[in-house]
Amino acid sequence: MTTDADAPHEAAPPLEMRRHPFEFHGTAREYFGIWIVNVLLTILTVGIYSAWAKVRRLRYFHGNTRLAGSSFDYHARPVQILAGRIIVLAILIVYNLSAYFLPQIVSGIIGIAFLFAIPWFVARGLRFRARVTSYRNVRFDFTGGYGGAFLSYLLGSMLTWGTLGLLAPIGSQWIWNYTLGNLRYGDRPIRCDPRLEKLYGQLVMPAAVFLGGLVAIVGIGVIAFVAALGTSLDVESYLPSDFAVIGILAAIYAAMLPFFLLYVLVGLLYGAGARNVALNETVIDGRHILASTIGRWRFAWIAISNFFATLFTLGLLRPWAAVRMARYLAGATALYSAGPLDDYLSTVKDSEGVVGSEFMDIEGFDFGF
Amino acid sequence: MASERSSPDALSPDALAGRWHPPSSSRGVDAAMHVEAGGVAVVTDSGGHILAEATLVSVDISPRVGSIPRRLSFPNGSVFETGDNDGVDRALTPLRGRGAGFIHGLERFRPRLALFVVLVAILAVGTYRYAVPLLVEVAIAATPPVVPRLLSQSAMVSLDQTLLDESKLADAAREALDEGFAALAALTPRGADGYTLNFRDGGRVGPNAFALPDGNVVITDQLVRLMEDDREAVLGVLAHEIGHVEREHSLRQLYRAAGVTGLVLLIGGDIGGGVEDVLIQGAALASLSYSRSQEAEADRFSVELMHKAGRDPAALARFFEKLRDDFSDTAESDFLSSHPATPQRIEETRRYAEELAASAAR
Repeated sequence: MTTDADAPHEAAPPLEMRRHPFEFHGTAREYFGIWIVNVLLTILTVGIYSAWAKVRRLRYFHGNTRLAGSSFDYHARPVQILAGRIIVLAILIVYNLSAYFLPQIVSGIIGIAFLFAIPWFVARGLRFRARVTSYRNVRFDFTGGYGGAFLSYLLGSMLTWGTLGLLAPIGSQWIWNYTLGNLRYGDRPIRCDPRLEKLYGQLVMPAAVFLGGLVAIVGIGVIAFVAALGTSLDVESYLPSDFAVIGILAAIYAAMLPFFLLYVLVGLLYGAGARNVALNETVIDGRHILASTIGRWRFAWIAISNFFATLFTLGLLRPWAAVRMARYLAGATALYSAGPLDDYLSTVKDSEGVVGSEFMDIEGFDFGF
Repeated sequence: MASERSSPDALSPDALAGRWHPPSSSRGVDAAMHVEAGGVAVVTDSGGHILAEATLVSVDISPRVGSIPRRLSFPNGSVFETGDNDGVDRALTPLRGRGAGFIHGLERFRPRLALFVVLVAILAVGTYRYAVPLLVEVAIAATPPVVPRLLSQSAMVSLDQTLLDESKLADAAREALDEGFAALAALTPRGADGYTLNFRDGGRVGPNAFALPDGNVVITDQLVRLMEDDREAVLGVLAHEIGHVEREHSLRQLYRAAGVTGLVLLIGGDIGGGVEDVLIQGAALASLSYSRSQEAEADRFSVELMHKAGRDPAALARFFEKLRDDFSDTAESDFLSSHPATPQRIEETRRYAEELAASAAR
């Protein structure tokens, strides 16, 4: 199950390299308390506490992620996050209202301007996140700019969607190269050059699953349709009415669900494989190497079962699900270090650009690191 | 990670074991911290050498979250990190009264968390049922009149550019409806001046009428022609549209959707992306139900206004009957619709009209 996912290194790490696994020490029991208080106070304060909630949640997950005996830390201040959220909500409200209030041409121009602003938000957001994250008292930094974000986020996603995933590896190469390759630990660079043929290698199995699933769904659909006709469903009487349109819409909605689930599954399988490839070709400071050994099916199973467990318990199992995923990802990630991790210096004093970070948070961009 | 406590200072019972980092450096040494008389925190290495020293008040101590390590940043920029959360809290108690902090106290795994779960459930329902409508009312009250005007103008321009065309109705038909419409509008708080009736060729839209929040009501030629021999029913439809304007349904719908989506977005980080998407889809379904209740309200408004104007309060029902008969609109289910099912609307309109007539006769 995992053999296909564990893309081996170009050359096996030299013997003097030490393997440090990432570990996650959080527990569902402990996180449950933090989580329920976060939700409770967020509702009680009509959303204002969500900034404090975010800081506590991320501190819990960073602080429980350990590498070589030290943990990560998250340094954003809640007031910063709150200010960022207010600004982003204001921008989103103005943007959405402009669609109602202004003539179509003007709101169209605003929409395009907004689209071109997204890379700026992304770049600022990644920089903020890097700068408020530390490991061993040294902050990360991010040096990616507008151009890279434009390429990887706008063009990359157009490429992925426009070709039904056929060019997805190019998109993921850009995005990993941009997000991880522009990251710095202290003043030292991190390089991430996932090779295209390896990313394509990760596309084969998900593509086969996609085609197989497609055949299965269509087959079952045809059988169900024939069976429905067999019970002499009077299709014609629905046609002239307005409500027939709605009935048909509902049917399409229901019929789309299997396709949607298939798409999610394939996305998870490929995303996990791409993460393996990308992390395995990530070099920190020219000498430490990351390694990722996610089992693709295992990852998809955890993600999907987490979703349904959360949904069917009306959210109560969310802490368990979040901890379960964090533990799995940490356990499947390691750092091969050549020499001590001692001589790094933090260059980042304080952070700015929280607006971008909150934009990504609210608009739901997601990152694998 | 536990360090040797070989220094005499560190042997004191209050000493905390941890690691010390010089300013901005990843280099770490095993160290111990204790608090001396006068509230001075001292960090020493295993040899007893002082690494950092400052009054506890001037040390920036990260709040306690679960059992993650605490970070104590000294004024000189160096950092002492320790997993001994209870020890830090003990050291802080004389200073702040409660070292662990109020929030951490709430978060501890205790039976009372079950109470929080119940509270969250009640508050979530309560927010949705009461707080959101209340916020909508506040927003409506705070909305300057220019907002619905702008909203309507841009909607009208967009519709004229895309879906609607100039009316091809005869002037006589228009004038008669204009007159009836003005008489109805005069009976509302906004008055006849608050409303304008616009005739348009509906094209693909077909027989339809709709209201813009600034009092502009649009009716399509197709609807007028459909009810050619029943002008009273057309007025019933117009009264329904006046009801939408009078009760500010468009703005309510807009604010409500924005409010619910905003709340879901703010809680998104705590429920995970997948469930967040489900909630947003669910909110869209729920807004359809809200829209159906607005339609029902406008139907009742039409009955009342027609009654007040001395016309047939059930006129609107005849329009629905025409829809039912000409377009075989008989579906009973309205779950995925923004409007209630037509048979149900006919029945409800007739029932309410009879009720009004009966109470008037008394």
